This record gives sequence, C-alpha cells and structure tokens, in this order.
Amino acid sequence: MADRPLSPHLSVYRMHRYTVLTSITNRFTGVVLSAGLIVLVYWLMAAAGGAKAYARALGVLSSGLFQAIFLLLLAAFSYHLFAGIRHLIWDSGRGLERRQSQRSAWLLGIASLLLFAGLAWWACLHWAIAGAGGPQ
Amino acid sequence: MADFRLPANSRIRKGVTHKAPEAAREVRAFRIYRFDPDSGENPRVDTFELEAGECGQMVLDALIRIKSTVDSSLAFRRSCREGICGSCAMNIDGLNRLACITSLHDLGREVHIYPLPHMPVVKDLVPDLTHFYAQYASVKPWLLAETPAPPDRERLQSKAEQEKIDRPAACILCACCSTSCPSYWWNSDRYLGPAALLAAYRWIIDSRDEASGQRLDALEDPFKLYRCHTIMNCTDVCPKDLNPAKAIAEIKKMLVERQS
Repeated sequence: MADRPLSPHLSVYRMHRYTVLTSITNRFTGVVLSAGLIVLVYWLMAAAGGAKAYARALGVLSSGLFQAIFLLLLAAFSYHLFAGIRHLIWDSGRGLERRQSQRSAWLLGIASLLLFAGLAWWACLHWAIAGAGGPQ
Repeated sequence: MADFRLPANSRIRKGVTHKAPEAAREVRAFRIYRFDPDSGENPRVDTFELEAGECGQMVLDALIRIKSTVDSSLAFRRSCREGICGSCAMNIDGLNRLACITSLHDLGREVHIYPLPHMPVVKDLVPDLTHFYAQYASVKPWLLAETPAPPDRERLQSKAEQEKIDRPAACILCACCSTSCPSYWWNSDRYLGPAALLAAYRWIIDSRDEASGQRLDALEDPFKLYRCHTIMNCTDVCPKDLNPAKAIAEIKKMLVERQS
C-alpha cells in the first residue's frame, strides 16, 4: 500500500530527552570541529607562506570575530572529547544500562562545561596579555 | 536516506474537537492522531475531552472510554491490558510506550497520542508492522543445531546459561524500541533495528544454538548492524526494561573479537 501515510517522527518525539540531546550534540559538535579545521589549514598555509603572510594571518586570527569562532571551537571540542570517551566506554560493553547512561549524560554535561570554562579562561587570559602587548 | 520532512500525504491537518459535557468538573484532553484510509484525506489530530474521573487509570482505559462513548471509529490495537502482549505500543507524550501500563497520573492535563513514529499507518493508531516482523524473521529466531536433541529429554542448559538469555528472551516485539531509533527511522530498509538485533543476540549467546558463527556472518554488514550509533533511545523506552543497546554492543564486540 503505497498511499499509506508515514507517522510523524521528529515532530512528535521528545527531543529534550537525554538520549537524543547527547547524541545530536555530539554530531553537531563534530561538524563544527570539522569546519574548524579550515581555520587550522588557513593558519598552516600562512605559516608556510613566509613571515609577511604569517603576520597578516595573525592579525586576522586575533580579530574579535575569530576570537568568537575560537571560543565556539573550544566549546565543541570540550563536548566532543567527553562524548567520544563515553562512546568508547559503551563500545567496550560497559555503562549501557539505562540508569548508567542517564548518569553519564549528566557527567558528560558537567565535565564538558568545566573543561570549556577552563579553556575559555586560558584563551581570554592569553588574549588579554597579547592585547596589553605582553609576551606573545 | 534521511528525509526529515513528512511526505505530502502524511502532513497533519487540524482535526475536530469533541468537547467535554458542560457539567464536567475536571477535564482531561486527549489529542489523538487520526487517519481514515477510506476518506482519501490527510491525517489529522482530533481532541477528545473527558471528565478526568471517567478516564480510568491507564492511557488504554481512556482510549477504550473514547471509543465506546465518543467515537467508535477510533482504531488502536490492544489485547492483554497488562504489558505482556505488546499490542498497544504507541507514542504517548513524545515517548514510545504501552498504553496499557502508562498511568494517566504520570501525564499532564493534555495527553498527545500518535502511532509509533516513522511507520506506515493503516488507520489511526495502527501502524503497519509487516516490515518489522520480516526483519525479526530474517535473524532466524529459532534454534539452529546440527546435533540431534537427546532422545529422552530436552536440550539442557545450566542455570547460568539460562540466565544469560533470560532478559533478551523476554522481548514482546512491541516495536517501541525500533521505532524510537532515529537510525531506524532513516535506514529501516537496511538497518535491522534494536528489536531484531536483540533477538539475534538472544540466539547467538544461547548455549544450545550451534549457528553463532553463521548468525554473526549474517550481521557483518555496514547497514544491518552498524547503523546503530548508540543513541540509546531503544533502552530508554523499552517497556520490559530490556537492553537492546547493550545487546548490539555485545554483537559488535563479538565481531571484533573473532577477528583476532
């Protein structure tokens, strides 16, 4: 029966469930990190392009926009790192009971926030020093 | 391929509202997915208001109440009303569960009821499970053994061997798990889904079965097994507290281990 309708899925399923949230965030941060590689490639190409190109790239990369992008990448990295470790543990056959995965979802959220806070603090400190003309 | 939008014939229209009687003191509203295959029209969501005291204990009681007092054309599957047959699996307030063991006390004033997600709909809350059952059959959920059974008794198992299959064998094939799985939504044509894989696992680890290798061979495929990305919705919603996600992880482990 080709004319049978398809029952709704994304529009009715509970999206704020720990299972769905942690999984989709892991995917999303993975995509963000992949896109972030472009920044790395740009930096490497500039480094290979000589002192002048490198100095110009540093100027671009220390702009406000790139600082925001950098913070976003740090956030994505913080989450993706711990989510990946969680998957690694799952793949070993451990932590797959319902209660355990609920607990590890919380742990994942807290750990990634803490790591992000630390990394962001370090980055801001670095920018503050660089802005004040301190040691690069 | 993943198609996030519903096809044109599946988009939901506004439905009708069956008001509670004026005298009703406390009203509970049930927003229920309706599809009438004879009308040629798109599905709609109807609202049924009931006096809270008349709904009964469970979601299934309320559905039966609606069917017998408001609209007898409302279609849903039900049988045992005690969580053992798996007929009344549906999406209630965003999660797949059995209507007969989902207490109304745990839900709000408004209850949203849809058929199991991403399935062809026969009528109202009745999904077409043909493909789901075919996938279950494809894992050969029966004993495969060359050795003949002892002539005077059954094939025996130790207590420990039995306990290993105790939980996986308790699956009632309600399809709550498979239809909660986004991977199954997007790839059900080739991905077997948690229910069928749990059944496969149950036979792979059965001490009396002699076809574990053959069963593993059949699953070693980029889609049948490996579309599982450990989202964990299956284990999250299983009304029998089983663990398809763990079963799938164990199958993946066995496939890796037998390579070394």
